[in-house]
Amino acid sequence: MQAERAISIIEDDESLRLALVGLLRSMAHDAHGYATAEDFLAADEGDLDCVITDIQLPGMSGIEMMRHLRARGDAVPVIVVTARDEKRVLAEARAGGALCLLRKPFETQDLLDCLDRAFAA
Amino acid sequence: MIEAVWAEATEILDLVHDSIIVRRMDGTILQWNAAAEAQYGIARGDAVGRRLSELLPGEPPELLEQAEAELLEGGAWEGELIRRNKAGDEMIIDVRWSIRREEDGTPRQIVETGRDVTEERANEEAVRLSDYRFRNLFEAMAVSFWEIDFNGVGAMLVALRDQGIEDIRGYLLDNIPIVREMLRQTLTLDVNAKTLEMFAAGSKEDIVGLHTERYWPPENLPVFVDSLIATLEKQPTFIRETVLLDHNDNRLNVMFTVAWSPDTRKRGVVTLGVIDITDRVSAERKLQQIQADYTHAARVATLGELTASIAHEVNQPLAAIVTNGEASLRWLGRSEPDVGEARELATRMVADARRAADVISRIRNMATRQTTGHELVSVNDVITDTLDFLRRDLQSHDVRVTFNGTADLPQVDADRTQLQQVLINLAVNAQQAMVQRGVENRRLDIRTAPIPGGHGVVVEIRDNGPGIPPDLASRLFESFVTTKPNGLGIGLSICRSIIEAHGGHIEVTNNGGACFTFSLPVQVQEADGGDLRCEKEAPATDMAGASSD
Repeated sequence: MQAERAISIIEDDESLRLALVGLLRSMAHDAHGYATAEDFLAADEGDLDCVITDIQLPGMSGIEMMRHLRARGDAVPVIVVTARDEKRVLAEARAGGALCLLRKPFETQDLLDCLDRAFAA
Repeated sequence: MIEAVWAEATEILDLVHDSIIVRRMDGTILQWNAAAEAQYGIARGDAVGRRLSELLPGEPPELLEQAEAELLEGGAWEGELIRRNKAGDEMIIDVRWSIRREEDGTPRQIVETGRDVTEERANEEAVRLSDYRFRNLFEAMAVSFWEIDFNGVGAMLVALRDQGIEDIRGYLLDNIPIVREMLRQTLTLDVNAKTLEMFAAGSKEDIVGLHTERYWPPENLPVFVDSLIATLEKQPTFIRETVLLDHNDNRLNVMFTVAWSPDTRKRGVVTLGVIDITDRVSAERKLQQIQADYTHAARVATLGELTASIAHEVNQPLAAIVTNGEASLRWLGRSEPDVGEARELATRMVADARRAADVISRIRNMATRQTTGHELVSVNDVITDTLDFLRRDLQSHDVRVTFNGTADLPQVDADRTQLQQVLINLAVNAQQAMVQRGVENRRLDIRTAPIPGGHGVVVEIRDNGPGIPPDLASRLFESFVTTKPNGLGIGLSICRSIIEAHGGHIEVTNNGGACFTFSLPVQVQEADGGDLRCEKEAPATDMAGASSD
């Protein structure tokens, strides 16, 4: 079992958000969920080990949120999950500095692999 | 002495109303009474001594010779002769000839009495022609005619009235066996050739002299009852579309008409006219089928434009299910399994699976050919459902949606799926127009309002896109008119068909963007405009903000 990590999840779909928080809690991580990018940025948790975000969110998108983090000097690893598959969106996510890109519905093992990479970074 | 008798005879003959002409066997006129003067316009002095056949020409000599030969043989002859009077006009004279003989039996004189029947015959001819024309019409028209003796039915109706039944229509509808008995009391007096053809009868004998029960399918007996009531109320005509059965029990779509004239009404006889409208009805059906196909095709095409957001809608709950499943396996796989956590996750998985199923059934409803059919619906609910369907798509294109539904709207008689189709079409059009023009602050504002007097609902859908080009505005709802580079121009014409099929009206104005309004009357029959016009900005709740999760 890995050491407890601090992870934030930004996902506007409540059931998926709760599912992700539940999964990470079952792995003994400290997970917090947010419905919007604005809520997450305002909470300003600091010292996170990883951020998992949806791209398509009401208001600020996940990609814009990533830019805000980078702009304030936060280099926290970001895992992007999305139900969209337009190439433009995926390219933007990569260009924005996403560590991982996961398409919904994703295999849990893929998410765990991404998390391992994030914690190793 | 002879002269005196002759003069007296002349005096007497002048009193007779019929013309009397006495002639010798060679035709020389001996007597010409006053009635003959009046009849032919020839004075006695100008007639006596002349030959009758020369004085009053007309018939060919052979015919007259033939007639005289018959006269000589039988002693009398009568018939109608054509003669020209002094003015040259042809007359028809009904004549009787008899012979006066010598004592030895030698024929001496012919006595003729004549009556002018020209006018009488002309009238008869007119009547005959009119009969003939009527007969021709009756036989040759593309309408099946029936002459029906209704006396038996009339007697039954009178009996019902005498029993004190006031609502005869209601009584008959409740007592169908009586209606059937009435049909058995009808008697077909005559039908035309078209009737034999239309009702697949071999000959008139298969119809005439019989009753008419076999032609009425049970479900259409109320039409027959209504025609009886129209008779009772002395309405001049009765016209109704219905279905009758032919002799092979095939169903005929017909226009059923009943006509009464005061004369035939007295005799208890009615004339029925039956017009075959099967072709028209089947053409209408085909047209409806084509419209339904187009409507369906357009709906599927619209769904195609929404695939990205539909995929999202389905994938979201699936992702949650997978994740919850993994998490619960982990809770259960611990050295001390946490059943409580696992149970909670399982509950959520069930809810998410239901959500995915709901999304799929919503899409399936839109994609299948079957629509839901008319029912009483709340327009606000339909709009809310539709926006749920569209929320992702609009959000991903940065369109902010507001919906301001007026509370307490009357429910309208509508097909929910078709209504959703109209709303989706208008919303997707607005979204595409705003994206295509790169509009910065994309908005879609939807409002509902009542039609004054509670007659229905008006829906307004307004965007802040480029609006409708003025040269297209008047033709926008026609087929193949589009503002999209790759558009077919079918969607809006189908929107109009749908709204008009609901008894409503759709129109568009430019008001800071395009603004579509459509009305939906409570009942499909009455269409009326509402008070929602695109002039004023309305305060609206922020749908996108309020419903985000």
